[in-house]
Amino acid sequence: MKNAPLLKIEDLRTYFYSRSKQAFIRSVDGVNLEIRRGETLGVVGESGSGKSITALSVLGLISGGPGVIAGKILFGSNGEQKDLLDGLEGYVKIGREQNRIMQVSKDVLGWERRSDEVMRTIRGGEIAMIFQNPKASLNPFTPVGKQITEAIRLHTKITDAQEAAERAIYWLKRVKIDSPALRFDNYPFGLSGGMCQRAMIAMALACEPALLIADEPTTGLDATIQSKIVDLLAELKSELGTTTMLISHDISVISRLSDSVVVMYGGTVVEYGPVRDILTASISSKHPYTSALLASIPGEEHVRDKVALQAIEGDVLDTINIPAGCRFYARCNRVTPKIRENCERREPDLREIAPGHRARCWLYFD
Amino acid sequence: MKNYSQRSGEIGDFSDIPFWKKADAADLVYVSYGLLIVTLVVVSYLLGAFHLLPHDPHDIRLDLMMSPPGTAGHLLGTDFMGRDIFSRLIVGIQAYFLPGLLAVAISLIGGSTLGVLAGYRGGMADTAITYFTNLVDSFPRLVLILLVVAAFKPDIYYIMIVVGLTNVPVVASLVKGKILFLKQKNFVEAAVSLGLPARTIILKHILWYNCRSLLIIQATLGMGEAILMETSLSYLGFGVQEPSPSWGNMVQAGANYFMQGKFWPSTAPALAILFTIMGFHLLGDGLNNLLEGKRGR
Amino acid sequence: MRLSGLRPIALVLTREVMITVLLLLGVSFVVFVILYLAPGDPFSMLVEGQVQSEEARAGAREALGFSQSWYSQYFSWVTQMLQGDFGTSIRTGLPVASELVFVGFNTLILTIGSMLVTLLIAVPIALYSSVRGTTALSWPLTMFAYVVSALPVFWLGYIVIYIFMHRFGLFPLMTSSSRGFSWLYALLPIVVLGVGNGTISEVIRSLRDEMGRVMSEDYIRTARAKGASVWKHSFKEGFLIPVTEIIAAKIPFILGGAVIVEQVFNWPGMGRMAWQAAQDRDFPVIMGIAMLAAVFVRMGSMFQRVVYVMVNPRASKE
Repeated sequence: MKNAPLLKIEDLRTYFYSRSKQAFIRSVDGVNLEIRRGETLGVVGESGSGKSITALSVLGLISGGPGVIAGKILFGSNGEQKDLLDGLEGYVKIGREQNRIMQVSKDVLGWERRSDEVMRTIRGGEIAMIFQNPKASLNPFTPVGKQITEAIRLHTKITDAQEAAERAIYWLKRVKIDSPALRFDNYPFGLSGGMCQRAMIAMALACEPALLIADEPTTGLDATIQSKIVDLLAELKSELGTTTMLISHDISVISRLSDSVVVMYGGTVVEYGPVRDILTASISSKHPYTSALLASIPGEEHVRDKVALQAIEGDVLDTINIPAGCRFYARCNRVTPKIRENCERREPDLREIAPGHRARCWLYFD
Repeated sequence: MKNYSQRSGEIGDFSDIPFWKKADAADLVYVSYGLLIVTLVVVSYLLGAFHLLPHDPHDIRLDLMMSPPGTAGHLLGTDFMGRDIFSRLIVGIQAYFLPGLLAVAISLIGGSTLGVLAGYRGGMADTAITYFTNLVDSFPRLVLILLVVAAFKPDIYYIMIVVGLTNVPVVASLVKGKILFLKQKNFVEAAVSLGLPARTIILKHILWYNCRSLLIIQATLGMGEAILMETSLSYLGFGVQEPSPSWGNMVQAGANYFMQGKFWPSTAPALAILFTIMGFHLLGDGLNNLLEGKRGR
Repeated sequence: MRLSGLRPIALVLTREVMITVLLLLGVSFVVFVILYLAPGDPFSMLVEGQVQSEEARAGAREALGFSQSWYSQYFSWVTQMLQGDFGTSIRTGLPVASELVFVGFNTLILTIGSMLVTLLIAVPIALYSSVRGTTALSWPLTMFAYVVSALPVFWLGYIVIYIFMHRFGLFPLMTSSSRGFSWLYALLPIVVLGVGNGTISEVIRSLRDEMGRVMSEDYIRTARAKGASVWKHSFKEGFLIPVTEIIAAKIPFILGGAVIVEQVFNWPGMGRMAWQAAQDRDFPVIMGIAMLAAVFVRMGSMFQRVVYVMVNPRASKE
């Protein structure tokens, strides 16, 4: 099982229930992806495409009664593979119609208890997560150092407070916070956004997790600080080689740090492959959504020649009323008469279009 | 187990879902119960005002003293003077109905005026109102009223003016909050840039369109508060005096008999207070959840 | 706690004391104005039929300070209060100040005790419903809260007295003249006021909403993501701060309820004294009680501010 991926997500569906609309919001609607050991997987997409919800589902952090998760999340850090959603089926009855969840009855308490049981050693220990808005994500009532110490004492062999504090200071130094011993006693409100994110990274890495999930780590920070955080992540990546799932809507961040890329749209993966195949604009065989995404970021030639940027027409998909055909059909500019009928009626599969490169588009079906 | 099910349709228009299906069932029960109580109170008030009563509430029948409920056409029994408790309960509404409305009117008018001043103008007005709010909050309401009672020996209408005044800060801060919210959304700026006069913006666009439901809710809760105050004061012997019935002085008059195990003269008005105040609370909270969408789930 | 941690508390205390002084001045002025405007000064009622000649009346009025201009009356009243002299009761002729200490202590016990009872009922319900959401139990719990909040506290008092004193003879009835203090006797009014002060449903709702809000904060998600205790991380903002806020905000209501409960149970506290003074138009007494009640309310709010600053490191920066 040496070559088994560290994390394998199979047909993940995370739905929320809207009482006022009496309908499910299908935030994640059939995601398949895998992360191999040591690689960094970038997940890119517009806001609302289901990237963050996918990550939160992995850690079982989807809260509230109406949230429902189905599918498989296989995680194998020490030899054996474990389904993080294992046993949860017992607490929920799902009624399906045409592959869509139409009815759910859920024993919320039992579900949460079971999820907490499965995730006990995983959360923070084997999978650590860093969030966007680091200032709000750190406990404002506790000094930063104490929060890191807490994580260390929970998940590593170090239980002695003094030793854990030293370890925390080491990690603060490691993420390049100056005078870490002083910062140790600072409250989050006394630190800048960038420093808070560094502290978050230190807290996540201090437990030496098998998988690091970075959910929009640069969002909400100033542009100059963003690039410094990316520098730090790149450096830590080369030093530690931690397997990482990096979620961002910022293609430059993704292309700098990732080995493989997943492009998400409307709750599904539309394209999946090595970073150079997907994020190189000159390679034309890719999903129309990815092409449009790449065309919407300013490159050198736009600045030099004052060429107008291409925005993606139309709105982000309404995840309540997902159309029967291709999710991107309404906004797609590469529909040909030959495939139009398919695009409108049937959802394409994720199909290999080049070695290791898969896309979900009728253009590549013969 | 909780159940969630999707409507079978795939169409994005949800406007056809009637509001009672979207609403929490509990809120609908609250509001229905509250409306029932309000209707009962209004009808009973009118019955009392036109003397359409089963018995004369002042008719002393020494031969029927302390008859238990159900005796000789006395649905809820009679009190220590043989007077019909049911009729006295209905007439007891006279004690708080109009005074309560006065208190509500004062708190709403005063509160929206101050709230508009603080929210729309800000600055000094805001500081003054904050001080006023803190000042009113520093007095236990009943102590303030006892002070007024000691000074003026006023009748219930004057006391209710005081009750209304002490509710002013609550309404004011809610109206102010709403205006600040509207300002944040550039609603007020937009209205000003359209060239609407301040009067129209404040009265029509702020108070009528945006504070309407808030004021209705506060009126409901304020009425509950006024009933509580009136009954408490009458209980203490400061409000409506014997022989005029008030729910408060009826409970008080039945106290000694209560300890002898004759519960009905105190219990009937006490339950009337309980169900009525509860009705106003439930109506206010239910409306709050329905109109202001306070309940997230 | 380190010394540096005490500085913000000292700062906030100074600020609160200043606000309190300002508010107490306002309260005293309102009290004074109301009584000044009162028709017929209490003196004339008191001496009616006793002092015949107009001259003798004027002399007595002079002695009691009723003939000065309003501002000098106000000023002398405030300065006397600052020296601890609240005047003498018109009814009993005893100094008000010593009386206030006695009734103030009794009412303080009643207030703190019933606040605890209220919290003892409200906190578990709020916790339960914020954690579990809507369950089969929520409906009865909510109804319980509504019923209890609308329950007339005097009637609740009757029921309790009937059951415990008349029926079972468990607790001795205390006469208003007895000066001793019996904890056993205190228990009943404390519980009755704690249950029946009319704030329980509001306390439950605001605690539940606040806990729910904090539970959805980003930093709680972080705590869950790192496998730490959510309780530990939400305790300060989700529990300690809202509970102290509620305590401070509800003190006026509980003091108001105390007027009735003290009446029902013959409890020798401020409320009963205020009631008596309102009957007798005993102005010095009721003025003193109003001031003392305001002091209690402000003390609650100071307590809340101090806890807030101790808990919240940001507050000292504000």
